[in-house]
Amino acid sequence: MRQRAVATVIGVECAKLRDQLAPRVLLAVCAIGPFAFVAAMRLQASVPEDTLFGRGVKESGFATPLVVLGFATLWVIPVLTAVIAGDLFAAEDRYGTWGTLLTRSRSRSDIFVGKVVTALAFSALALAALAASSIAAGIVGIGSQPLVDLSGISLAPARAVSRIALAWASVLPPAFGFTALAVLLSIITRSSVAGVGLPVVAALAMQLSGYVDGPDAPRRLLMTYGFDTWHGLLTEPPFYRPLIYSTAASIAYCVLCLAVAHRVFGQRDINR
Amino acid sequence: MPEPALEALGISKRYPESDALSGVSLIANPGELHGLLGPNGAGKTTLLRVVLGLVRRDAGTVRMFGRLMDAPFGPMPDGVAGFVETPAFYPYLSGRRNLELLARLDDRRAASGAGVADVLERLALADAANVDVAAYSAGMRQRLGIAACLLRSPRLLLLDEPTSSLDPASAHALRQLVRRLAADGVAVVLSSHDMSEVEALCAAVTIIDHGRVLYSGTIDGLRNVAPGAAHALHTSDDRMALTLAAARPGLRVTAAVDRDGLDVVADTASLDAYVLALAQIGVAVRTLEQRERSLESLFLQLTSGPTKDAAVPLPPRNPLHAAEVSS
Repeated sequence: MRQRAVATVIGVECAKLRDQLAPRVLLAVCAIGPFAFVAAMRLQASVPEDTLFGRGVKESGFATPLVVLGFATLWVIPVLTAVIAGDLFAAEDRYGTWGTLLTRSRSRSDIFVGKVVTALAFSALALAALAASSIAAGIVGIGSQPLVDLSGISLAPARAVSRIALAWASVLPPAFGFTALAVLLSIITRSSVAGVGLPVVAALAMQLSGYVDGPDAPRRLLMTYGFDTWHGLLTEPPFYRPLIYSTAASIAYCVLCLAVAHRVFGQRDINR
Repeated sequence: MPEPALEALGISKRYPESDALSGVSLIANPGELHGLLGPNGAGKTTLLRVVLGLVRRDAGTVRMFGRLMDAPFGPMPDGVAGFVETPAFYPYLSGRRNLELLARLDDRRAASGAGVADVLERLALADAANVDVAAYSAGMRQRLGIAACLLRSPRLLLLDEPTSSLDPASAHALRQLVRRLAADGVAVVLSSHDMSEVEALCAAVTIIDHGRVLYSGTIDGLRNVAPGAAHALHTSDDRMALTLAAARPGLRVTAAVDRDGLDVVADTASLDAYVLALAQIGVAVRTLEQRERSLESLFLQLTSGPTKDAAVPLPPRNPLHAAEVSS
């Protein structure tokens, strides 16, 4: 019964997202952006040499999704996740619709879980769209030549695609972590601006902290650490330990943020 | 005796800055139109929020159709609907789409098409059904709110100032609708600060102010303890008029404080006799204007203390409440 209740909430939230401009624009940017990037690469003589796999961007279409991934982990993924997750709860405050929503046949927990699942699903969908579009853009615009990995070994197309898919999948946990953070901030502040903006600021701050000297252990606890662990998947042999650490840290962030968010939301008086 | 549709007993809600509700009780029976009356800030909306599960109560119990609502913030029971303040909807969706989504949340997916069309028709919103709510007037949103309530086939309906944004014709239509619902056995709790609206619609009333119940009982019971209506009187000789009044029963006449003339509180018979007596002693009545009706006078007394304008004696508060509640 509870699962059905949550599923109904998810359906309603998805229907609302379909009727809004922001999610559609975001998904369109995810779908079109990589093609625009490939078109720009083809037009210009130089390549982004300072970026991982940037040198090979004109030699193999499979380098494109990895260059895009490297770029996306800087700030695009926090933005993609926060724009929807940071607004999903705060929008009800902005429109004053909590009173309408919470006086139907669904409990507050059902509403919370339904909205959180919707936010996580949108984050996954946006990342999947960006990954699929990057792969397609690379193959269509450059070609399906073998990819030279970080160890200098040439990967056949099928193997390259599986590694690329794994690399994109590896950033899902930190992306979910930022989604959960956006949900939490959205609930606490009741402001879409804070819900969307603060996770992005937090991501930039975490990345900047990587440039500061200090012990490695605390850095591994930052969510942004998980944005770089895919490098280990593009070596021979691949190494997974950083990925495991960062995934565990991201899960911890998710659980902590959502537990606090549920508690705050569950105890909140709706006075507007 | 049928089971009450709503039984909210001893509800208290404390905010850091004030006690919003202090032991407030409200009982509404099936088929009853129950007015929840009080001035702005009295605690009416907070009480409705507590009953609707939007605000956590600090003390008290809420039962709906005998079922104890002890799980905070659980789903709204079937057959219960309502809204507080002006109902809000998603402005980027049409009125119809908003209702369809709400119907889905109520597990009324299969019936939502027909159900939504029906309630839109009943609330005279069919023509605007496909218009985005962003373009709706406050009155249309209020009607959409009532439509959203009707989707739940309510047996208990809680409405907070439902006519506040409506034009007179829409307000009249809504009152008719509410009467029909009550006639069909729906318990309707109608929050208002307008005594005349409650008096016209409701058989029972609970008056609250500063988070406390001042009166709970029937409108007829309230009438029995209400003073006469308040009037403003101008005569050719106010001093003589005051002297005459002092000797007459059923009449209270005082000099108006904030204007010329006199304040008169009396029932109709006493007032008629007084006017005739003034004529007999040669005092001309220049104007006699009703300022408040009797229940309004009492309402103002109960909620504001003895007002200068009303100029009527204040009945005891707690004994009145206790007598009505216990009976």
